[in-house]
Amino acid sequence: MKKHLFTKKLSFKHSLLLISSLVVITLLSSIGFGVVELGHKAVWQCVTQGCEKSIYDTILWEIRFPRVLLGFIAGFGLALAGALMQNVTRNPLADPYLFGIVSGAGLGATLTQFLPVSMQLVSLPLASFLGSLLAVGLILIVLYQNNWRRIEHLLLAGVAVSFLLSSLTTFILYSGDAFSSNRVIFWLMGSLARADTNALLLISPVIIIATLIALLLGRQLDALLLSDDSARTLGVKVERLRVITLILCAAITAVIVSYCGGISFIGLMIPHIVRPFVGITSAKLFIAVGLVGGCFLVWVDVIARTALGGQEIPIGVITSAMGSLFFLALLRKM
Amino acid sequence: MSPFVLQANNVTWSAGSKNVIQNIHLQIKTGETVAIVGPNGAGKTSLLKCLYGEHSDYSGNIYLHGKPLKALNNKDIAQKVAVVSQHSESAFSLTVLDIVGMGLIPHKGLFDINTDADKHNIEQALIKVDLIKKQHQLFNTLSGGEQQRVLIARAIVQAPDILIMDEPTNHLDMYYQHQILMLAKSLKITLLITIHDLNLAAQYCDRVVIINNGEIVADDTPEGVFTAEKLTDVFKLECAIDKNPFTQKTRITFAGINNRVNDESKWLQS
Repeated sequence: MKKHLFTKKLSFKHSLLLISSLVVITLLSSIGFGVVELGHKAVWQCVTQGCEKSIYDTILWEIRFPRVLLGFIAGFGLALAGALMQNVTRNPLADPYLFGIVSGAGLGATLTQFLPVSMQLVSLPLASFLGSLLAVGLILIVLYQNNWRRIEHLLLAGVAVSFLLSSLTTFILYSGDAFSSNRVIFWLMGSLARADTNALLLISPVIIIATLIALLLGRQLDALLLSDDSARTLGVKVERLRVITLILCAAITAVIVSYCGGISFIGLMIPHIVRPFVGITSAKLFIAVGLVGGCFLVWVDVIARTALGGQEIPIGVITSAMGSLFFLALLRKM
Repeated sequence: MSPFVLQANNVTWSAGSKNVIQNIHLQIKTGETVAIVGPNGAGKTSLLKCLYGEHSDYSGNIYLHGKPLKALNNKDIAQKVAVVSQHSESAFSLTVLDIVGMGLIPHKGLFDINTDADKHNIEQALIKVDLIKKQHQLFNTLSGGEQQRVLIARAIVQAPDILIMDEPTNHLDMYYQHQILMLAKSLKITLLITIHDLNLAAQYCDRVVIINNGEIVADDTPEGVFTAEKLTDVFKLECAIDKNPFTQKTRITFAGINNRVNDESKWLQS
């Protein structure tokens, strides 16, 4: 029998209060960190009364705040996608990265890098979505061929799809011109440097709509947690629900990857951190996981842009390092 | 209104080229407790899966309250039929309350939220199965008997017309076997149960259906179907029939493997 460390949970209201406080603190305090040290007093003054110097206005509200917001929304989305995938597959190791969805979106996004910049506003997220749908499609073919019975094979199928699509991306980069390839390689490692109004306007509605759909599907997703057969006896159309959920994950991942690159393992880690506090049923988990995931990515970005002074570390490098260790620790516990 | 909750007319279901069940005619009346018994691989679970819509690729007709099962969607079926099946351990830590609450799913639309009446129903179901004090405990940490009671509580919340139970007494000790069946009977709804213990079937069921090689070979009261000749023919073991001194119900006692009536198991005796 597995040991359950946290059998006594905080009430959802208390957990949500705690997490909401974390969100407010994160959003307000993280904008103070950066190459230019403003100090918390100056930041507080900017928030409450307006900035003392106009340069502070520019740094805080035009550079850092959009970036912090983008980080929060991207972290929210990636963590939500992870929780959705883990619940819909009953696999605690599921994550958009390990299932090849990030690689699919990366492939689509890479292809658009060779188009003129003016065409990228629409083509970039669209190509990312098509790429991630390709990954989901390949996984669904594997599932369909074994008659949906071997859910545990999903992870292996995802890893294989991830390698396949990543190798295609690498080949495209190898074949392209060195300048473009270098730019794409840095972006594929994950960065919030592209934060601007366009990014926020494109990503936010997708994440908000995806969250609402996830919440509406929550009850049916809960039914899947025991077994597929059990869910069917409760009136759930299991296969249809699984396809809808995976497409939802593909859409979330695609818009994030198209602007922030390949940020891995957030979807794996955050649901595991949050579950002991709010339980595993979908609606509560999705909200809590999204908020914590948002905060997490904001702080990882703070590390990414301050740890080496003026030089930015790709954010995906940090999440990969943390995520890999977390993955190994998780396997040890299972 | 049909007097039958479930009705199967000439139902055949195949896995590959093999007919797992064939030419099944079965009628379950409202309020009856019916046991389906038979050797391993006889087709009991496959028959149940056809009856609750898990297998839809059967030939013949199945009716739920007189309506063709194939014309009903999953949700319609789930509002009338609850299933307690053999379950596997979940990778996630579901609590008792999480699972019992799932019983509401067939009655809720996408935009519905849980009402106070729903919470009351869940609480009453937990009281009924005597698990109210363990509602926050993790399902995986409960004993086999308690886990079955959680699934029965989920079925109570589901408020079905018929409860189908697939081998509910498997892996349970004597006390819990009787407890689970008594609990199911106390719900006072139509019950359809597959079971290996013939004495439990005789004690708790109004009717017993014997299935062998995918076909129904007997369908009557326990006294009517549990004859030495019939059981020896189906289970390939000699048996004696008498009365349980406590309940006065039919009691079946099988002889050991040495008295097998065919020579399939000679290798065991060498």
